[in-house]
Amino acid sequence: MLIYLVIAPILFAVLLYLFPTSKISKSIVIVAQALLVAAAFVLFYQSRTNEISLNIGDYGGFLGITLAVDQLSAIFLILTVVIFFALTIYNIGENNSKFFWFLLFLLEGTLIGLFLTRDIFNIFVLAEVTTVLGAIFLMYHRIRRSMYDGLVYLMVNVIVMQFYLFGIGFLYMLTGVLDMDQSALVIATTLDNSQLTLPFALIKTAIAAKCSLLPLMTFLPKVHSIPDAPSSVGTILSCLQVKAGIYLFLRFRHIFQGIDASSFFLILGIITAVFGIILALGQTNIKSILAYSTIAQVGLIVIGLSLEGTYSYIGSLYHVFSHAIAKATLFLSAGIIMRVYDTLEMSKIKGVLKEIPVVGFVTILAILSMTGAPLFSGNISKYFMMSEANFIIYPIIILINLGTITVFIKYATILFGKMPAVTEEEIDEAKATGVLQEDRDNIERTGFFAKAEAIILRIDIFKEIAVVLLAILCLLGGIFGTELIGLLFHYDVVIRFADIAEKAIIFVCSWGAGYFIYRFAVKKNASLKFIGHLDLNFRTICVSIGGFFALTLLVVGVVLS
Amino acid sequence: MINIIAILMFFISFFGLITSHSMIKSIVFTVLMESAVILFFLSLGFQSGIIPPIGVNLENLEHVADPLPQALMITAIIIGVAVTTIKITILMSFFRKFKTTDWDEARILSHHHEEDENNND
Repeated sequence: MLIYLVIAPILFAVLLYLFPTSKISKSIVIVAQALLVAAAFVLFYQSRTNEISLNIGDYGGFLGITLAVDQLSAIFLILTVVIFFALTIYNIGENNSKFFWFLLFLLEGTLIGLFLTRDIFNIFVLAEVTTVLGAIFLMYHRIRRSMYDGLVYLMVNVIVMQFYLFGIGFLYMLTGVLDMDQSALVIATTLDNSQLTLPFALIKTAIAAKCSLLPLMTFLPKVHSIPDAPSSVGTILSCLQVKAGIYLFLRFRHIFQGIDASSFFLILGIITAVFGIILALGQTNIKSILAYSTIAQVGLIVIGLSLEGTYSYIGSLYHVFSHAIAKATLFLSAGIIMRVYDTLEMSKIKGVLKEIPVVGFVTILAILSMTGAPLFSGNISKYFMMSEANFIIYPIIILINLGTITVFIKYATILFGKMPAVTEEEIDEAKATGVLQEDRDNIERTGFFAKAEAIILRIDIFKEIAVVLLAILCLLGGIFGTELIGLLFHYDVVIRFADIAEKAIIFVCSWGAGYFIYRFAVKKNASLKFIGHLDLNFRTICVSIGGFFALTLLVVGVVLS
Repeated sequence: MINIIAILMFFISFFGLITSHSMIKSIVFTVLMESAVILFFLSLGFQSGIIPPIGVNLENLEHVADPLPQALMITAIIIGVAVTTIKITILMSFFRKFKTTDWDEARILSHHHEEDENNND
């Protein structure tokens, strides 16, 4: 069963590519996704009673690659299949080539493999494959504007994965095993912290880059928001690949349990969240606002995971879930908005609520979930994250949430107002420069120019169904929050009504404060815009990777020992 | 000894990545980094006087080399080849469009290009 969950999507991708049947394939695709979701849920249900594991090749002991589902990987597994199911519905109405489905299913298989495998070398292999597939997916429309960013993305990811592989080399030299549980056992029983400093620093550098912690955070959001890349790839990278970084962070924290670097990562998480918010406020493009806000939320998740206590751990993991769902909703609605308005520039997008009411409404729901409104899943996760925070961290989390609210107030400005009419000059100019005639793959000309030429806006009904489903999940995750947590974590949590009321008051005050901050400090702030467009070149990114490595080495080797 | 050379090689090629202006050199340095890691892994299984784990005379396991590092590195080499191919493919189509392999020029050019296209929209 376990191995088919990884193999089946990959085999299916290859078969779909070899034997494309244009009419039937769409229904086959959706049935295949539904089967995968069902299989994942069955596995999750079975793994609640006993841990399921499979040793490939049946070598026994700690030889061979082990696939296993435990509580942690089950959460990420379900998240992956749900997001991919939504992506399939989103893309089903579109006239995508067979190559698109090939990439989508291949990425799903490798990501599921990444979450199931227990072999640390296998993680390297699968992470490299997802990186390569992501880079190809980014350039799917073959528009060369995305070449530079795609190359930087590929190069940086390959470099950090070399750090990871080097770290594994040291670990293998010290322990002689590659299995996660075995190496954790060997490290705990026989090894001294001082021997582990170098592999720890090497592996943590790679993981920090994967989940884009502070010095390594500028290149990922730029890649997530490439305007010409399909919205689906932005969603996969921003919702799942960054979360894979969080998953590895937790796994390796278990392996290096002797080294307690939680205060180091707490500080890193706080700085990452603050910088993510500042950078997000400086963006002028709707997809980049979403991408930078992901960075801020990852910072928040790292803060929650670095706090001690079961509630904050559960809250942070639940936030992985709720953030991914809400962010997928927003990213996919941004894709629809882009199709209708034919631009991603905020200044040109106005009146979404009036033009495309369903998308506007869904965006509001997702924003409420992201900012932690009562009744939404974001509220539950933030509630648990804060419930065990001490008097220093508690206000910091509230301030970070205030920043998130300000970011999304900025984002919400696209919902209101009136869609600007296109002028005759603009049409003439567009015709002269060939924009109107330009025939990009799958990008229909609607929106501005459609209105001018009196063509009726057509929105794919499947796209709307996908975003509505995701938005309903945001709401369900909030209403049945405690039940879901009980199901996912085997842990009975209690929510006190008084706390919820207190949080609701804080939430309303934060919205008021956020509006004032936006109105008087953010809107038309030139320096924020300058910071937002700050862009590190390739060598500076390499310097920051090296800097992060040196810093981790210093902190672990000198300060903590 | 070999592992010290591998560590040195890894960080020298990382230094090369920090200093090189050319995209081609950067790709070469990443390949060098991969080679350093491969060298390091291979040095793990090496001891003088041991025999490879194939053929006859395998009764005494103490003198047989650990086959795992080699197996891992074959995988790593294959992945390295695939990734390098894709990097070079992207670089080639980039070069055809912008006629440069300098990181700074490439960044400026691709961003100007972006602004131009935005203005046209």
